[in-house]
Amino acid sequence: MHIAEGVLNAPVLVTGAAVTACGCGIGIRKMDYRAMPRVAVITSVFFVASLVHVPVGPASAHLILNGLAGIVLGWLSFPALLMALFLQAVLFQFGGLTVLGVNTASMATPALACYLCLGKMARHRRAGIAYAAGFLAGALGVLLSALGTALALAASGEAFLPAARLVVIVHLPVMAIEGLLTGFVLLFVKKVQPDLLTNPP
Amino acid sequence: MGSKITAALLILPVLLCGHKITVFAVVEGTGIYTRTYASDGTKIKDGAVQVLDPAGRRLLSGRTDSLGEFSFAIPRRTDLKIVVEGGLGHRAETVVRADQLPDLPAAAAANKPAPSSGPAALDTVLIRRLIGDAVRDGLQPVVRRLAELERDRISFTEIIGGIGYIFGILGLAMFFARRKKCD
Repeated sequence: MHIAEGVLNAPVLVTGAAVTACGCGIGIRKMDYRAMPRVAVITSVFFVASLVHVPVGPASAHLILNGLAGIVLGWLSFPALLMALFLQAVLFQFGGLTVLGVNTASMATPALACYLCLGKMARHRRAGIAYAAGFLAGALGVLLSALGTALALAASGEAFLPAARLVVIVHLPVMAIEGLLTGFVLLFVKKVQPDLLTNPP
Repeated sequence: MGSKITAALLILPVLLCGHKITVFAVVEGTGIYTRTYASDGTKIKDGAVQVLDPAGRRLLSGRTDSLGEFSFAIPRRTDLKIVVEGGLGHRAETVVRADQLPDLPAAAAANKPAPSSGPAALDTVLIRRLIGDAVRDGLQPVVRRLAELERDRISFTEIIGGIGYIFGILGLAMFFARRKKCD
């Protein structure tokens, strides 16, 4: 899901950076000091999740957990994922600094979408419903990110349909695993640390 | 959530890998051997390889085979930039500097004076080339092994460091946000 340096053309890079800047602007404005510990925890989880890889036949994909980030953080996902992706780019050379905007946009926009669509449901009192919301958020986050990545590649010259099909197929197992994981994490957090699931600012 | 991070960290050493591809290039004889792989060691098959000169002109191109390898004859004695695209936004590049390249036979012949200075001179040139070839052949396994050792891995220190940065930055932010509120 991390697009490398030198693959995308300038307009795509600028568009991605603009989307990320807007999202971060809104996110940072909404962030108050009570939300910061939660941002720190989710940012760390996201930062580490990319190192956990899921073998998919010959290729390998890794966890993203942007659905989880979205549910817990809402708009704050933008600054959180930007920071995590920046550190991944600097420390692990995943992605790169010039593509930071596009990569953040392709992962944080789905996170926000998950929050807007499933945020209420994920906070439902009944565990079954919360789990279902978590599963959907995990899967949806990955699916939308895959499509976003394919779109960015398509806008830079790769044919959209084959690229999209490939990215989505590679990420099908990741979607399933993230769905299960996100559901479990939501239930677990609900039991152990329900504060984390209060509505984000 | 704390225990989730702990759990994630515990399984890390087994699962260290990522989404980055690397290309290694080694001069072998009058050619260059390259190998491309992802950071978990997966070979990049059928990746598009391009060899560019310093001005960015394409000298030659090809695709990696099923082992992620691609070899080519040195097209020109200049800095060679090797770019491999693995599809889906994966890209790696490396540069082989001109001073790492051997004298190409044609260039060498042009540089050296014609062997008119007698049989002794001819022998020196010939012997020099033979020994050079033999040494290169003998060193090949060592050079390949070195290239493999050079493969960069993600270290545990970097992961812990990254998490430290995240908590540190947000801790600072919290401090300032709190202070502003108190003022």
